[in-house]
Amino acid sequence: MSRLLQDHFDRWHVLVLLLAVFGAAALLLTAGGGGDAAARSELNRQLEQDVAYRARIDFLQDLYRPVLDLEKSGARQQALLKLEEISRRYPGEGYGFIIKGRILLQLDAVEEAVANYVDGVRLNGDFADRQGPFSAWNEINQLVSRQLPSFSERARTHPDNATLKRVLSNLHYLQSRLAGGCE
Amino acid sequence: MRNIIFCLFGLLCSILLSGCQQTADQGPVYKIGYMNCNSEQETRLRFAPLTRYLSEKVGVRFEMVPVDTQDFEDRFKKEEFAFTHTNSLLYLILRQDHDLQLVATEKRGQFGARTAGTIISRKDSGIRTLADLKGKRMIFGPQLAPSGYLAQYDLMLKAGIDPETDLSYYAIPHGSFKHEKLIYAVYFGAYDVAAAPALDLEVMTREGKISADDFQIVAQSPIFPYCTFGAAKGVDPDLVKRFREALVSLTPEDTVDYNGEQVKVLKSAWVDGFEQLLDSDYDILRGMAKRANMPPYQEF
Repeated sequence: MSRLLQDHFDRWHVLVLLLAVFGAAALLLTAGGGGDAAARSELNRQLEQDVAYRARIDFLQDLYRPVLDLEKSGARQQALLKLEEISRRYPGEGYGFIIKGRILLQLDAVEEAVANYVDGVRLNGDFADRQGPFSAWNEINQLVSRQLPSFSERARTHPDNATLKRVLSNLHYLQSRLAGGCE
Repeated sequence: MRNIIFCLFGLLCSILLSGCQQTADQGPVYKIGYMNCNSEQETRLRFAPLTRYLSEKVGVRFEMVPVDTQDFEDRFKKEEFAFTHTNSLLYLILRQDHDLQLVATEKRGQFGARTAGTIISRKDSGIRTLADLKGKRMIFGPQLAPSGYLAQYDLMLKAGIDPETDLSYYAIPHGSFKHEKLIYAVYFGAYDVAAAPALDLEVMTREGKISADDFQIVAQSPIFPYCTFGAAKGVDPDLVKRFREALVSLTPEDTVDYNGEQVKVLKSAWVDGFEQLLDSDYDILRGMAKRANMPPYQEF
């Protein structure tokens, strides 16, 4: 044995063989725990999604708090201007459309309020769900119940009016989403 | 030889016939009177592509005529405008006095085809309610501006404040039609309060010129229809219908060839689109004009 290891070439072969044996053993050991690693990875992904979801809720509540505070104090136009500032940075955020729809409705801009609710729901269907931190189900439901009969009647008496048709179509869209319908 | 003569005769006939074809370029010219906004030049720049688009879409020749607000009614009578584009108060005047027909209402900003007037002060001024306006210096837009004068005047009257006697001073200075100037006049302290159109506040905020935190909105009027296209009473109903359809169907992607460029029609006109309102939607503005003793209901 010692004679064998005296040869430089043989020593090199033994070293390579030992490395191969240890490598194979390590592979066998890690292969046995593969299922656990996949599960851990899935758990991590779920955790990341939950954290991102919670962070998004907190972020949006913080972002729109000044607008909501102004709205609550009755400063609706000021709230709209604040919303305008925020929408310069986040122009496609659905929650902004929902808040805008609500404020516009309070200012009697019904057609534009309906259009904003539609934009918000199209961007994120959660707003038309009954549950959830940003559920607007109740306010959209009230809007549809109050406005649909009136716009249906006006569209019936003015059949050539493109604007009334468009508002009616938007109201029907919201009605469908409240009922759980897809686009 | 006979064949050659026959061919030449045929060619001559086809040339003459092609010359007789009626095209939009050769039909009657219909004038559209556009109320000047900030200046005649700006009005031309904004609305020339829209006028070109309407000519192409409707298939008749339209000519744009910029008109000063105060001169509009006289020139409407003299120059026989087939169509008009004015603020909503001028629409009421022309409707009342000349049976102008409602065609379509312009959409711009958060209220769509409607707008509102606000009274603003600087945030740090301490002026927070309409009652605080007594004894203050106020700047208004021109008298025929519905969201720069009438709406605010009416707001004050309804709150029991007479702008003629209860303010220490008020002015409609030269250039006040540029509503932005009124907003800056308050911002820089030249006046205590201003009659600012809600749309201008919105646009200036969007452009980053002002911040929502700079001003206090002391009061805001109800919303009422914005700038309006009308048609003179004698215009062919089919032409009015096609004109309206061309406006209402306009999308932000629609372009027209103008001075060798493809220009986006709505963007060029600073318009988001057009809506088909009902004349009864203008009743809210009629109420304001009556209370403020303004045309077309003014009594002396």
